Amino acid sequence: MKIRSVKLREAHKAANGGTSSFCSILWDLQALHLVTASSSDSSIAIHDPLLPSSPPRILRHHRDGVTALALSSNSTCLASGSIDHSVKLYRFPGGEFQTNVTRFTLPIRAVAFNKSGSMLAAAGDDEGIKLINTIDGSIARVLKGHKGPVTGVAFDPNGEYLASIDSIGTVIYWELQSGRTLFTLKGIAPNTGSDTSIMNVMSWSPDGETLAVPGLKNDVVMYDRDTAEKVFSLRGDHVQPICFMSWSPNGKYMATSSLDKQVLIWDVDRRQDIDRQKFDDRICCMAWKPIDNALAVIDDMGKYGVWESIVPSSMKSPTEDIPNLRSKNSNGLLLFDEDEQEASMSGSLSDLGEDSHGESEPPCRKRLRKQSVFDEYQDEDLHDDLNLLPKAEPEKKTYRVHKENSRKAKDGQRSMISTSRPKMQEAFQPGSTPLQHGRRCFLCYNMLGSITTIKQEDYSHIEIDFHDTSRGPRVPPMTDHYGFTVASLNENGCVFANSCKGDKNMSTLMYRPFGSWAINSEWYMRFEGEEVKVVALGTPWVAAVTSLNFVRIFTEGGLQKHILSLGGPVVTAAGFKDELAVVTHVSDCLPSNEQMLEFRVFKISNGTQPFRGRLPLTPGSHLTWFGFSEEGQLSSYDSKGVLRVFTCQYGGSWLPLFSASKEKKSDENYWVVGLNSSKLFCIVCKNPDTCPQVLPKPVLTLLNLSFPLASSDLGEAALENEFLMNNMHLSQIQEKVEAMISKGLDATLLDDEAFDIEAAQDRCILRLIASCCNGDKLVTATELVKLLSVEKSVKGAIQLATALKLPSLAERFNSILEERLHNKTDQARDISLPSSKYDLSAKADVAFSKYLTASGRSEVLDTTIRTSSVRLSAPLFTKKAKLSEEDKLGKQKADQNQTAHMEDNKEAKNSDLKNAGQVNSLRDVKKTHNQNLSDPFSKASNNHEEGKKVAEVPQVRSQRPSDPFLKTSSNQEEVKKVGEVTGAQSQRPANPFLKSTIK
Amino acid sequence: MAGQSDPHVSLFSAEEVEFIAEDEMVEIVPNMTIERLNFISGDFGPFLPLTVNQVPLWLAVALKKRGKCAIRPPHWMSVENLTKVLEEERDSQGAFQALPFHYVEISRLLFDHAREDIPDIYLVRSLIEDIRDVRLHKVETSLEKFSGTSAVKIPNLSAMEVNIIRPFVGRALQAFYKHDNPEKIPDIDRVSSGQSRVANSEPPRRPLRR
Repeated sequence: MKIRSVKLREAHKAANGGTSSFCSILWDLQALHLVTASSSDSSIAIHDPLLPSSPPRILRHHRDGVTALALSSNSTCLASGSIDHSVKLYRFPGGEFQTNVTRFTLPIRAVAFNKSGSMLAAAGDDEGIKLINTIDGSIARVLKGHKGPVTGVAFDPNGEYLASIDSIGTVIYWELQSGRTLFTLKGIAPNTGSDTSIMNVMSWSPDGETLAVPGLKNDVVMYDRDTAEKVFSLRGDHVQPICFMSWSPNGKYMATSSLDKQVLIWDVDRRQDIDRQKFDDRICCMAWKPIDNALAVIDDMGKYGVWESIVPSSMKSPTEDIPNLRSKNSNGLLLFDEDEQEASMSGSLSDLGEDSHGESEPPCRKRLRKQSVFDEYQDEDLHDDLNLLPKAEPEKKTYRVHKENSRKAKDGQRSMISTSRPKMQEAFQPGSTPLQHGRRCFLCYNMLGSITTIKQEDYSHIEIDFHDTSRGPRVPPMTDHYGFTVASLNENGCVFANSCKGDKNMSTLMYRPFGSWAINSEWYMRFEGEEVKVVALGTPWVAAVTSLNFVRIFTEGGLQKHILSLGGPVVTAAGFKDELAVVTHVSDCLPSNEQMLEFRVFKISNGTQPFRGRLPLTPGSHLTWFGFSEEGQLSSYDSKGVLRVFTCQYGGSWLPLFSASKEKKSDENYWVVGLNSSKLFCIVCKNPDTCPQVLPKPVLTLLNLSFPLASSDLGEAALENEFLMNNMHLSQIQEKVEAMISKGLDATLLDDEAFDIEAAQDRCILRLIASCCNGDKLVTATELVKLLSVEKSVKGAIQLATALKLPSLAERFNSILEERLHNKTDQARDISLPSSKYDLSAKADVAFSKYLTASGRSEVLDTTIRTSSVRLSAPLFTKKAKLSEEDKLGKQKADQNQTAHMEDNKEAKNSDLKNAGQVNSLRDVKKTHNQNLSDPFSKASNNHEEGKKVAEVPQVRSQRPSDPFLKTSSNQEEVKKVGEVTGAQSQRPANPFLKSTIK
Repeated sequence: MAGQSDPHVSLFSAEEVEFIAEDEMVEIVPNMTIERLNFISGDFGPFLPLTVNQVPLWLAVALKKRGKCAIRPPHWMSVENLTKVLEEERDSQGAFQALPFHYVEISRLLFDHAREDIPDIYLVRSLIEDIRDVRLHKVETSLEKFSGTSAVKIPNLSAMEVNIIRPFVGRALQAFYKHDNPEKIPDIDRVSSGQSRVANSEPPRRPLRR
């Protein structure tokens, strides 16, 4: 038998004269910190268990000894109670003082958080246990019934009961919902008398089924959760009463400390002690390490230590098979009455302790009795140990196998709650926050404005605000007697609906236009036996989705226009202009907790349903936001923080465009408000909040959209992302252009936009090519070259490859360029394919032919470049524009000119890159597209006079991508300049770049 | 500086120091959409409602006066931080706590123009006044002590404080210098003005923003 001893080090000074004081110790959830306090010391110490020698962080806020500590189950909030009569809250692990939650008239002896951390129980020498809302510090309830000082309180892990114990040995079970006493067990625990260093404690087992209370016969007695009957007791070698006990995180073991200075470890199922240790002083508090096989202890002299590998490795680890009680609410959507729903500390976090006097004894620690060997466990333990670590960590995320809670069902938890149990998610209104009594909350928050409501006595007070105060109308606040629970807002009006409460209250829909020429233009709809679940607004329609799975569509004036039946219960809905998108359940969710959702988009004006399909979600998540982007792209956001945007590509698919996990700030939650083509607008909420408060006014944060890229060898995630983004934007614009043209509208503005994106895309691709070349990814580079939209860029790429001393690659690029030019001329010949691009190039070729007759070699080159720049200015996708007459003229000539043009190209190729003029022109191409790249060609000789001339024209052109105004006019200029040799030169003085380059 | 007040009292008047401080950046939350604003000192915006933008204080104040934005109080202006600073300021006799160089001017401007944007304004105001008093007192007491040096180094001194002590310190240092090296400066009064300028530049001055 190994003799181990637990080394204790001083955390708190013992009281004067060495009298014992009650000390507490706690682990945080990740076992990264140990928190200690002593009733003889006004400071709280946060230790780092890995660096025990480093000085602890000290929180000095109390004016007197700290008697009680509690940590919320997500370890973000620390509560302390003190002899100075106050209960204080701190942020954890930072330790910033938050608030004085409450004050008593006498010392505090016990504090405890419920499971969600929303409720704090505090008790002490005062009469009555206070239940405090941690959010606002309001006293939810005072439980009175104890005759003596209360020394221990504990929330039942299942959140239904609170147990409390006093110093005279009485245990009371309270029902949290009603605040009634369920059972009073008198005199079952030892009477500790008036010694405040000994405190009676009790502790719920982690599964909540039993309550452990120190018994009168130096034992621990287990009481049943529901009946409060004695179940069994742990009785062994303690010779004095138990003063503290702590359940292992899985509830299989228990550590007990007694006034006889021994600590015993029990196997609870076998009711036998398996290990023990004798200490110098009485151990008055213990805490099991939540993710390891260790126990932290603190004695009544303020010395603490960690007892490592406490349970023999042959037995199950104390952190294995932790009952899944946690995080029914981990998504933070708090239930209305969270105090009834969840409560408790995990077994090890019980922070109360009791204490007895102890004289110092020489340290002796030995196992007094050895248990029989648990050979039969060995195999499975080895196996289980492998699973242990991953299990302990994600355990807080796992969802509880829900025990149907009848009371909850009766309570009728209505909309806006999406519980994370494997249960179909409830209907919710995008941009709303859960209704809380007495606090203002958002009914609707979108990019335009917000609707807030606060419940008063028998009515609600609703305010409508627009973010942009200069644009939106001023809407006076209104009094709402209906108790509206869902609302939606757009620039024309707002719609409200309430849910039916009871039988007599009908569900009502109200629409209120902001600007109307008629008075009393607001209207109401009443629904009997039907409840409005979700509302949506568009122009000019109002939609309500009801509990009978109807979509009811009204006009702005209140005319009932359409009633459609949906295939399943509604989840949410959103409107944008003419489109209404509705999300419904397809079926019950999978056992793996995946919601089965379907979306459909209706076009209200022409009564069509252009899209319909399954709504993808991250496994294990639920939908938290659904709506349209500023541009009208359908988007969704789920509870795992993934934003998806609908695209028509691939027959209608969802692109994951943002992932909160990639943002690297784990303590933040993003509450989505809206998005545009490149940014996500959201409100950042610090954990554990998931939704914003109305006051102080939340501020929008803009986050960049990005694809969840795999990390490639290239290591240019930003560029790759830009590449994908540009591609997506191009396809979106293409879609729009097609739609515009099919309607016969002018799409030139969109063309300009597309051109800009193409230019940006080429820049991005060139940069990617550069990094590919540097990383020897030649095949990728070749693929990228094929994606370049402008010949000039291809030439730039060739230049790049040559500069990087990759002649074979340059050769390959060259052949790609050649092939491309070849295809182009082939297509240009095919006059039956009318395309503006080719028209323009044809036009340029007219110019070319005239140049050819008029001037010499330099002009020839000049025009070649012009040709390509014309292509640059024309969006590459085909536009079915009508041909103007002169275009036709040009085209007739195009045929013959094209051949000449091709010859010229060949000539250019033959002379290859040795032609100084071309070198210069390419250099300029590079300047436009690739200014960030270091330009190895700037040293290329440009003393060639001809070269200079040639260089000038592309310079003029190269200005264009940065100047949208010039570009629109340039097409006209182009026509004018046909045959006008000096056309390009006339622009020269206006070009500020030119001088510098010529010099 | 052209319109500068009497150089023997202080180099700049309080208003002038405040004017310099207006170039400090603050965060505003506009409540309307404002196009990009082009100024000599740079371009600001475009502004979207409810998003945080960084603008110079003068612009923030101008927008605030027109009711177009809310100014977010800087982080150091929280009650928590100020309480801490005040405490430490009181505890440490010699050193000064790190506060923005223009903290007096910034807080003054915000108190004048953005009262409703600062939570706990009375508390914040009294804290800042306390801090200022403590620091000024400290400056005075430390000035009493210095002797026989030709340079003083006081880290974390703010613009307003520097401005107040600058003339005195400059002249005092000069006097020390004169007494230490009587042969080097035969006639102090004749070169006084030129010398005082040299001495004046000794306390750290931040280059002005253009």
